[in-house]
Amino acid sequence: MPVVRIPTPLRPHTDGQDSVESTGTTVGEVLGNVGTKYPALKERIFDDAGELRRFVNVYLNNEDIRYLDDLATAVAANDEVSIIPAVAGG
Amino acid sequence: MSTAVDPIERYSRQVRFPMLGEAGQRKLMASRVTICGCGALGTVLANHLVRAGVGNIRIVDRDFIETHNLQRQILFDEQDVADNLPKAEAAARKLRLINSQVNIEAVVTDIDHTNILDLVADADLILDGTDNFETRYLINDAAVKLNKPWVFGGVIGSEGQSMTIRPGITPCIRCVVQDNPPPGMTPTCETAGVLGPAVSVVASFEAVEAIKILSGAYDALNTELFVIDIWDWTFRRLKIKNLLGKVDCPCCQQKKFEWLEGDLGSHTTTLCGRNAVQIATRRSEKLNFAEMATRLNSLADVRHNAFMLRFAAEGHEFTVFPDGRAIIKGTNDISKARTLYAQFVGN
Ligand SMILES: [Zn+2]
Repeated sequence: MPVVRIPTPLRPHTDGQDSVESTGTTVGEVLGNVGTKYPALKERIFDDAGELRRFVNVYLNNEDIRYLDDLATAVAANDEVSIIPAVAGG
Repeated sequence: MSTAVDPIERYSRQVRFPMLGEAGQRKLMASRVTICGCGALGTVLANHLVRAGVGNIRIVDRDFIETHNLQRQILFDEQDVADNLPKAEAAARKLRLINSQVNIEAVVTDIDHTNILDLVADADLILDGTDNFETRYLINDAAVKLNKPWVFGGVIGSEGQSMTIRPGITPCIRCVVQDNPPPGMTPTCETAGVLGPAVSVVASFEAVEAIKILSGAYDALNTELFVIDIWDWTFRRLKIKNLLGKVDCPCCQQKKFEWLEGDLGSHTTTLCGRNAVQIATRRSEKLNFAEMATRLNSLADVRHNAFMLRFAAEGHEFTVFPDGRAIIKGTNDISKARTLYAQFVGN
């Protein structure tokens, strides 16, 4: 099953887990299914129209999905989807 | 002083590194860099570049030094805190002792859309030592407009990121981070903490990118988004190169410089997690601290030096800079801070 990697600031919304197994064949389905299980996470990564929020970057393995097929990017069983917010401090 | 010693001699150990060599070193010595922000990342960056012999370094920072900075801001010490020195000034003093061959300029100011172009116009490279995306978007606008490279670095907890931006050749920061993340999505160093070694790792990656750019080793540059966690030992290079031209970026594609034009961002702002507000003003005439100290003499503990005036009033600590800018501790409420400013500093 594809795995979704959860960044530190969002782990309070996934019971502290740093990765969550999901189902689906596209990035949108995989994230959507995690979001169904963890609604507070869904709210933070998707807007009301179901689009990814602009400050949320999603990677399939190590590739930015925006130059693949965005949420329609195909996901295989052993793929990893990562949500990676920008790190602001310094 | 000895005479006729080649100034390059002190750099012999890095000149022997074949990828740099003497030609590279001479380029470093002829270079000019602006370091934006001189906190955790900025002190490590400045330390590396001054020791490496980058010829001209401008350090810009808006803040003063507090004891809790010393855990990670490597150029400062307890005496600097006691002396109420601004970060840029204290860093410059220390750095001049480290390498008198480097021309170091300290600028104590808040970087905003009115001064960024002046601060970077003569630089070959801009380095990010800031702690917020508003300033980074401003640096990005200026860098793209003036076609100058810059290096992004960010750090929080044990995590860090870095990316090297060359306008037109790589994606810019707005291609990758399209919007300023709201509080709660990106914790700050004040809420999530930060480890000194995480800062050193990220700033060291930025510094080595700087050495490559200034010495002309463009082929060796990082073209990805570098992401590290030093606690759980993860290290990733996320592929972002192909975002160039794929994202309809307002900055590097449409050439709309919204941050530079002052359409976005504000400079009277709460300093996140610090229970403090910065009041931004810019006066044409410098404040007269001696006069102000006399006027405020009924208040507790009024102190001033050439760089700042500090006093306590109504449970708040005020730090006022010569250009009128102030940091008021003890509140996150901007309108309350404005009232306090008007009351004690003036309009
Ligand atoms: Zn761009």
